[in-house]
Amino acid sequence: MSNNVWIIAEQKEGKLKKVSFELLGIGKKLAEKTGGSLSALLLGQQIDKLTEKLDGYGASKIFVCDSEILANYSNEGYTKAIVDLVKAHNPAILLGGATASGRDLFPRVAARLETGLASDCVGLEINNEGLLVAERPLFAGKVLVDTLIPEARPQMACLRPNVLPVPERGSEKAEIEKVAVELQPQDLKATIKEMVKTAGEKIDLTEASVIVSGGRGMASKENFKILEELAAAFGEGAAVGASRSAVDSDFAPHDTQVGQTGKVVNPNLYIACGISGSIQHLAGMRTSKYIVAINKDPEAPIFQVADYGIVDDLFKIVPLFTEEVKKLKAQD
Amino acid sequence: MEITREIFWNVGHWVRWPVYGFGLIVIIIFIFGLVKRIRLWRIGKPENRLDNIPRRIGALLSFGLFHRRILKEPYPGITHLCLFWGFLILLLGTILIFIQEDLTKLIFGKVFIQGNFYLFFSLVLDLFGLLAIIGVILLAFRRYVLKPDRLDNKPEDLIGLILIFLVLLTGFFNEGLRIAITRPDFEKYSFVGWEISKLFASPERSMASLGGLHATFWWIHLLLAFGFIGYVAYSRLLHLITSPLNQFFISFAPSGEVKPIPDIENQETFGVSKLQDFTWKQLLDADACTRCGRCQDNCPAHLSEKPLSPKKVIQDLKNYLTSQGKNLGKGEDAEEQTPPISGNVISEDELWACTTCGACQQACPVFVEVIDKVVDLRRYLVLMESKFSPEVKLFFKNMETNYNPWTIGFATRADWAKDLDLNILSEKSDVDYLLFVGCAGSFDERNKKVTRSLVGLLQKAGVSFGILGAEEMCCGETVRRIGNEYLAQILMQQNIELFTKYGIKKIITFCPHCFNTFKNEYHQFDGNYQVFHHTEFLWNLFKEGKLRWKTGVEMTAVYHDSCYLGRHNNIYDAPRRLLASIQNTRLVEMEQTREKSFCCGAGGGRMWMEETLGTRINHMRIDQAASCDASVVATACPYCLTMLEDGIKEKEMENLLTVFDLAELLEKAS
Repeated sequence: MSNNVWIIAEQKEGKLKKVSFELLGIGKKLAEKTGGSLSALLLGQQIDKLTEKLDGYGASKIFVCDSEILANYSNEGYTKAIVDLVKAHNPAILLGGATASGRDLFPRVAARLETGLASDCVGLEINNEGLLVAERPLFAGKVLVDTLIPEARPQMACLRPNVLPVPERGSEKAEIEKVAVELQPQDLKATIKEMVKTAGEKIDLTEASVIVSGGRGMASKENFKILEELAAAFGEGAAVGASRSAVDSDFAPHDTQVGQTGKVVNPNLYIACGISGSIQHLAGMRTSKYIVAINKDPEAPIFQVADYGIVDDLFKIVPLFTEEVKKLKAQD
Repeated sequence: MEITREIFWNVGHWVRWPVYGFGLIVIIIFIFGLVKRIRLWRIGKPENRLDNIPRRIGALLSFGLFHRRILKEPYPGITHLCLFWGFLILLLGTILIFIQEDLTKLIFGKVFIQGNFYLFFSLVLDLFGLLAIIGVILLAFRRYVLKPDRLDNKPEDLIGLILIFLVLLTGFFNEGLRIAITRPDFEKYSFVGWEISKLFASPERSMASLGGLHATFWWIHLLLAFGFIGYVAYSRLLHLITSPLNQFFISFAPSGEVKPIPDIENQETFGVSKLQDFTWKQLLDADACTRCGRCQDNCPAHLSEKPLSPKKVIQDLKNYLTSQGKNLGKGEDAEEQTPPISGNVISEDELWACTTCGACQQACPVFVEVIDKVVDLRRYLVLMESKFSPEVKLFFKNMETNYNPWTIGFATRADWAKDLDLNILSEKSDVDYLLFVGCAGSFDERNKKVTRSLVGLLQKAGVSFGILGAEEMCCGETVRRIGNEYLAQILMQQNIELFTKYGIKKIITFCPHCFNTFKNEYHQFDGNYQVFHHTEFLWNLFKEGKLRWKTGVEMTAVYHDSCYLGRHNNIYDAPRRLLASIQNTRLVEMEQTREKSFCCGAGGGRMWMEETLGTRINHMRIDQAASCDASVVATACPYCLTMLEDGIKEKEMENLLTVFDLAELLEKAS
């Protein structure tokens, strides 16, 4: 058994997910403690170009499984490729992102490898005995448990996106190892025929690191444009959300609804514009790391959960906000 | 001349025997049909509906004989009353004649329908016969000319009406022809027959020709009457039997009580998937329904264009019962293969659309129960198939982990009271009352204001009370109505353990849902308490002089009845009296008020589901409130408060209407 650390670098349609870099960052720290090396595993089709992007984050090796069958994510195909590779190299630790596909993939991989899995972790470290300690929130975040996998190997964990920072990039290059994938199309019981997307290249709300959300105070569908502009100013990882009443009034599409009956989100920054903050809405976003509320009504319940509150007309504040964000981004 | 009439006059006494033979056959046909239905009801599980017989007879008399519920709608009510009593009196008349002819006359040679009694008998029978004819004509007019939406017409309706009409008409023609031939003066007491006789009384017509006509009518009348009896058990006329039965087997349990799944730990199936899972009374309900449609006229889901109509649900069950009846006794395999009722006979959308407001049951003249069936069928979906919307999944999860509907930690449940010097029972339990705050009152910013107002009033009145603090859990009401009986029982039993631990006997709550479940359901798990809704409790304090309003509030207010306070628990007056007690406050009423109140749309778990079909129920209620020139809508329920306030915002009517809980208004006034 080695003491190496592996991470799965997740990509979708030729773009690496941010959590892949977060994984490299923590993976490097863990590998330093275990005294092993860090490797990344990249699966997909025509993904050679992506390996360069993974360079410089501490991985000494990148395994590339490039196959037509892996072009789209499939539970069966990805599981087989990963399991074969893990069995051949026996890493001590295998990490992935707790994304939609990660949550689908990792339980099956763990079952095939007959090992343990800590899902949806918010912190990872190595204890004095050299074991992986995975910190997981339970009961809606009221308690944190440390999960250990004492005997079975590899020790597997899924990391919740947006929890750990993306590390500084260095200059070292990783060695590329292409891996032949022994998969036939008939090995997949389900194949993807078509991906139907909602208009635009929006990112999934539950994975966004910044959410600019509008409520009934937006007054019209057109006015949501200023929220889109603010989200755009934040750049990649930012998305526009909406409250139920905004969705009901047709200001925003249903898949952007945040709240008890919509999506439960957990971004680093949640900007609530013209949202009074009914409990149904709060139930979907109260665990956001920072909450900024802009509302005319100082009595609005949203201010009870907000870290920063602005009592003013959102149509005045949001454009100013957008300008300031642009300025700050320009300085970067 | 003797004042009486000869039975079997003109047709010959020999007909007695064929008539009785015929009658026997018809009665056998009737009994055969009835027994077939009874056997269908008996596939259901046992249920005791034979307790308290005197009260049951009382219900039968008042709701059956005297139409107490049916008369709530004057046109169909009075017309049906005419038809009903007309038929009943004619039936009694026929029975009297039978007794005379076959008992007293045959055995003792005594004829008692004679003299003054004969005149009275003739007058009464003609009068009620006429009422019945008027009734049947007006009912047909309503059904086929006025065509109210709630009536669907089937051939059996027309056949039934025509049969009744012809039986009555031929009866009167019989009488008229007999009088035309015999012409005794005293027959003017048979005033309908007397008038008809004038049609035939002409010198040109010979006695022979009229005699033949009379005999023909007599036979037609007889055959139609027998046909009617035979038809009863095979058509909607069965309600002659089943509706009174259902009124007799009325439920004495509070309408807000949902029955538990007993011994839930050892059950292998939950809820209702096939007809056999219902009780016999639930199956009788299906046969007692007359398709009158009053339920759907009062159903908020139906009126807001959801796929649910209580009438359709009951009728679908009835038709399913009839069709499944054919498979009975074909062995267990056939039964095993029947698809579950939920999703096949009654669609899932129908089941989830119900707000359990109880308006359908309140309107039903024959006491068909609907909520119990909806909950049983939901239980199957939830507990056996895990079929419910994603919103409900989150709701259940939150209830399981945090004992409240939202993703909020249970430890923060009493944070609202941090700055109020309140007794927490874990620290001090020798108080008179428990104030059960409820989830909305504990966590929802808007409803926390209500809690604070109520606490202020209770403190002002010097009431000794405490709260459970972070130990309090959801009462389980909504979880139960969504069908998750398992989780509901866990919550209920945990609360009961807490109540027992602190020796709680009296509970005050401002949520009618908590109130209803403590009052009507906790006894199922040996939790017996005296439960007060805050409107009742505050009214008592006011009456005792412990609360007084100093300033009053200048406003025109309309009170919105919560279903679980009003319809399910009969508390209509306390909140209105409280409102009226505030100085300078004018109280107005919506058109749909008290028993006829319109749901806010949140009951039965609807609060936690998206309302994607039809019009929003809360919007409809707002329109009703807005049309009565009030500026304040007073509520007494956190669900209603939330729904109405949301509706007002969505309809952008904030300038016209504001919603307050009664406690808030009273605090303002004091």
